[in-house]
Amino acid sequence: MSLFKSRRKKKTRRDVHIEQMAAIVGPDEILFEKEDLLSYDCDGFTVHKAMPKAVVFPKNTEEVAALVKYCAAHDLPFLARGAGTGLSGGAIPLNGEVIISLGKMKNLLHVDFENRQAVVQPGFVNLKLTNSISSKGYYYAPDPSSQYVCTIGGNVAENAGGAHCLKYGVTTNHILGLEVVLPNGEVIEISEDGIPDSPGYDLMGLLTGSEGTLGIVTKITVRILKNPEGKQTVLAYFDNVEDGSRAVSGIISAGIVPAALEMMDKTAIEGVEAGTFPVGHPKDIEALLLIEVDGIAAGIDEQIEQILEVCKSRNVREVKVAESEEERGKWWANRKTGFGAMGAISPDYLVQDGVIPRSRLPEVLQRITEISEESGLRIANIFHAGDGNLHPLILFDSRIPGETEKALEAGTACLKACADVGGSITGEHGVGIEKKEEMRFIFTDEELDAQTRIREVFNPEDLLNKGKLFPTPSRCMDIKTIVKDTVAVK
Amino acid sequence: MEIKDIPQSTASLVLKDEKFGNSGAELAEPTSEEEIANVLRKANEEGKKVAVVSGGTKRGYGGLKDDYDILLSLSQYKGIIEHTAGDMTVTVRPGTTIKELQEFLSDFGQMVSLDPAWPEQATIGGVIAANESGPKRMKYGSARDQVIGLRVAYPAGTIIRTGGKVVKNVAGYDMNKLFIGAMGTLGVITEITMKLRPVPKAESLVKLFVPKEQVQVLKEFIVNIQDSMVEPASLEMINPALSKKLFNREVYTLLVAFEDVENSVRYQEQWMEEHVPAGMSVDVSQGDKAKEFWRAFATLAPNSLTDQESGSTKAVLKIGTKNMDVLTMMAVEETMTDIDQLEIEIHGGLGHGITTVILTGEESQVKQAIHQFRAEAESKKGYAVVKHLPVKLRKEIDVWGKKPSYFFLFEGIKKTNDPNNTLNYQRFLGGI
Ligand SMILES: Cc1cc2nc3c(=O)[nH]c(=O)nc-3n(C[C@H](O)[C@H](O)[C@H](O)COP(=O)(O)OP(=O)(O)OC[C@H]3O[C@@H](n4cnc5c(N)ncnc54)[C@H](O)[C@@H]3O)c2cc1C
Ligand SMILES: Cc1cc2nc3c(=O)[nH]c(=O)nc-3n(C[C@H](O)[C@H](O)[C@H](O)COP(=O)(O)OP(=O)(O)OC[C@H]3O[C@@H](n4cnc5c(N)ncnc54)[C@H](O)[C@@H]3O)c2cc1C
Repeated sequence: MSLFKSRRKKKTRRDVHIEQMAAIVGPDEILFEKEDLLSYDCDGFTVHKAMPKAVVFPKNTEEVAALVKYCAAHDLPFLARGAGTGLSGGAIPLNGEVIISLGKMKNLLHVDFENRQAVVQPGFVNLKLTNSISSKGYYYAPDPSSQYVCTIGGNVAENAGGAHCLKYGVTTNHILGLEVVLPNGEVIEISEDGIPDSPGYDLMGLLTGSEGTLGIVTKITVRILKNPEGKQTVLAYFDNVEDGSRAVSGIISAGIVPAALEMMDKTAIEGVEAGTFPVGHPKDIEALLLIEVDGIAAGIDEQIEQILEVCKSRNVREVKVAESEEERGKWWANRKTGFGAMGAISPDYLVQDGVIPRSRLPEVLQRITEISEESGLRIANIFHAGDGNLHPLILFDSRIPGETEKALEAGTACLKACADVGGSITGEHGVGIEKKEEMRFIFTDEELDAQTRIREVFNPEDLLNKGKLFPTPSRCMDIKTIVKDTVAVK
Repeated sequence: MEIKDIPQSTASLVLKDEKFGNSGAELAEPTSEEEIANVLRKANEEGKKVAVVSGGTKRGYGGLKDDYDILLSLSQYKGIIEHTAGDMTVTVRPGTTIKELQEFLSDFGQMVSLDPAWPEQATIGGVIAANESGPKRMKYGSARDQVIGLRVAYPAGTIIRTGGKVVKNVAGYDMNKLFIGAMGTLGVITEITMKLRPVPKAESLVKLFVPKEQVQVLKEFIVNIQDSMVEPASLEMINPALSKKLFNREVYTLLVAFEDVENSVRYQEQWMEEHVPAGMSVDVSQGDKAKEFWRAFATLAPNSLTDQESGSTKAVLKIGTKNMDVLTMMAVEETMTDIDQLEIEIHGGLGHGITTVILTGEESQVKQAIHQFRAEAESKKGYAVVKHLPVKLRKEIDVWGKKPSYFFLFEGIKKTNDPNNTLNYQRFLGGI
């Protein structure tokens, strides 16, 4: 009896849109009860939350197109969601969106080794691709640290990078073709079969990194690469950050293109050593570099020799080459779980994502130290030093009143420091909600307008992922009020 | 920051080009960004049409008009604006030729990883606007993989920056991509920032001569190379006609380039020699010899500066297919009849899927061949763009091929950037 009652109650709460969308995807492929929606109120950017209208799980492109057409016809705002690991709030339903989850479109459709390409559905998890082709000696190059869970669709939307992007490039350099559902529900296929340079404007390049505001990607053709023959990894400990930074420049100017060149500072090392994959790094060093060289085995030794030379000339305290695949694996696990490890030394952390010209590393790191002192918050740095992509991790405790605001302010100050040396406010995590206002640090109104006009070509009604990526039109908002806005919703 | 002005080129620009069109009634040769913006703004207000030209090698590439009101030449707008060796980035003006740029960078042991044709004449602005690439694209990628930032003068005269000066950047839309390969129809590129690579410490070129009857064996060998540990910078296949011209051997030739540290290059050469299937012969050129070859290779196709004598008709096709279908494109000629007055030279990259076909001969046979190559490419879901053809024929043959189903997006983008069709009107796909 009571069961019957609750069912009836649910029924009355279901509005007509829910019914209609359920008819498209099937009754089991839609969530609309508040308790079911809770886990969709944010993504990896957790300081901002909002409830979606519903979450739907289409199984194929036709269903995505039908859902989009439905939303467009009924003025319902909607957005796409992959694994929800985005760090800038791109998948947060600011306007009570219908969330179109690609989580059930997660198949590997085709692998073509001869032509070095694979075709995947958008919900296919990044690491699974490499795992599916590694027995043949192939891999998919872009390797965000979240690769064991994030989706390739989400990677396309964010133009995701990773530790090995220094040599091999980011997502956009590995995408060969896209099938996209446009915001009006029309399905288009760009560079079908991964054919290069398809005549016309490069829509594939434009869509990659558009943070889900121009269309929903439903099929992706990617380039796959052959595993390099050899690989060697070096770990170097420095007594000051300056020496570590100079070693980075030294390696790059020696004409070496390492596969990866990562740096961690003292606070970060404290975190990773307290985390799940400690390596036993000395506690009193100021910086470490993790450097990997790959390629033809016969050519690696001389590059490693050169790297060791550079490190020694920069007063390295200790430098070693991984002696086994196991040791190498340990070093990388320690690095790749670095963000999460901050949880071991701080209740909360906020990760930032600025980029600077590599040669400006010492002065920007110095500025970040000052920001830390000014805000009274510790800041750990774990980052892709080789391409100048910083990840200041601002440690804070949201239970202490005012500290979240302070953390957000410190994050903004870090981005300003990057912009001031001619850098960018984001290298791989995207703008989302988080860095909307900071877009003004690097773009003029006219430049922002040139971009929003392109959005209007694809998304004229602005129903798809509205309110992301671009600052609100009013000029020069005071940062403090933005922080208040953002936190108030929490 | 180092600033260096490169001396102005002596190559004079032909204002009038009866054969290739894309000319102008009036010539504007600005030497500053502000002047470029002013020319555009004024033309845009007065309803005039502007054609953009940098080196002028590509006047035979697209375009239905003989004359525009104004020919905006960027050949004098050149030079390196900024180069920070430690950041491995460079910012240049569009009129800088590829050769000038590479020579400047070589003093620092650095290079732009682009190897387009005609480096002495082709400018970085033209190469990027036309998205030109060469055989080593296999290893280094194309313009879209190197450009990290642009300054663009929009037709209304505003200057818009896209991207930035750092090598990794996802702030906002990747607007750089819009202008690469847009044939100057969306804005005039006034500054280009690119990422650089170190000049490889060693290089070599392994030439593999393959008798016609062994093409199938070659295909298997190419699959083996790709499955092996070697990392070629090119797998460029050459048809017998072109091979005859280059090496005086009427066989298929595969050009396998290696670029890395010395030990690695030697090891890979050796790998090739050890694995070459019986019946194919190998020739290795190292270092400067390899460089010399690539220099000559870059001047194979005619361009609108070189193709000025009358007589035979010349056409150049850019065909895009899946990598392995390049082999099919090589063989199209075998199914063709009525080609007695036609020379067909082909090279195509098995690691990147772009095939270049150079046709020289009697006009109707050239036209016929274009249709056949296009039909074959389209049957493989590919395309064939005619990237060099006299203007008279461009009016007869749609050089860009068919419009995609999403052409309305191209129209929308053009309209947004250039509502009055001021810039390079009708130069691009579908008459955009
Ligand atoms: C611990 C951790 C480490 C990380 N490390 C890295 C790193 O090293 N490098 C890096 O680049 N990022 C990193 N990230 C960020 C994040 O993982 C990437 O941005 C990833 O690409 C997001 O994928 P997702 O499937 O989770 O997408 P989501 O978070 O679900 O969505 C992200 C955005 O993409 C849009 N979107 C998703 N799918 C589609 C689709 N099919 N079509 C159109 N739009 C779509 C969404 O609307 C949203 O705007 C990290 C995140 C975490 C939590
Ligand atoms: C017949 C032919 C064959 C070729 N074959 C090959 C080949 O096989 N392989 C290869 O790699 N390359 C090839 N090329 C490439 C070519 O030689 C050059 O590499 C280059 O692309 C032309 O540069 P340019 O400066 O002469 O361009 P231009 O002719 O001056 O301009 C080309 C286009 O770009 C536009 N443009 C120029 N500058 C700007 C700017 N600053 N902003 C906006 N738009 C601009 C022009 O309006 C025009 O649409 C070939 C060229 C031709 C003509």
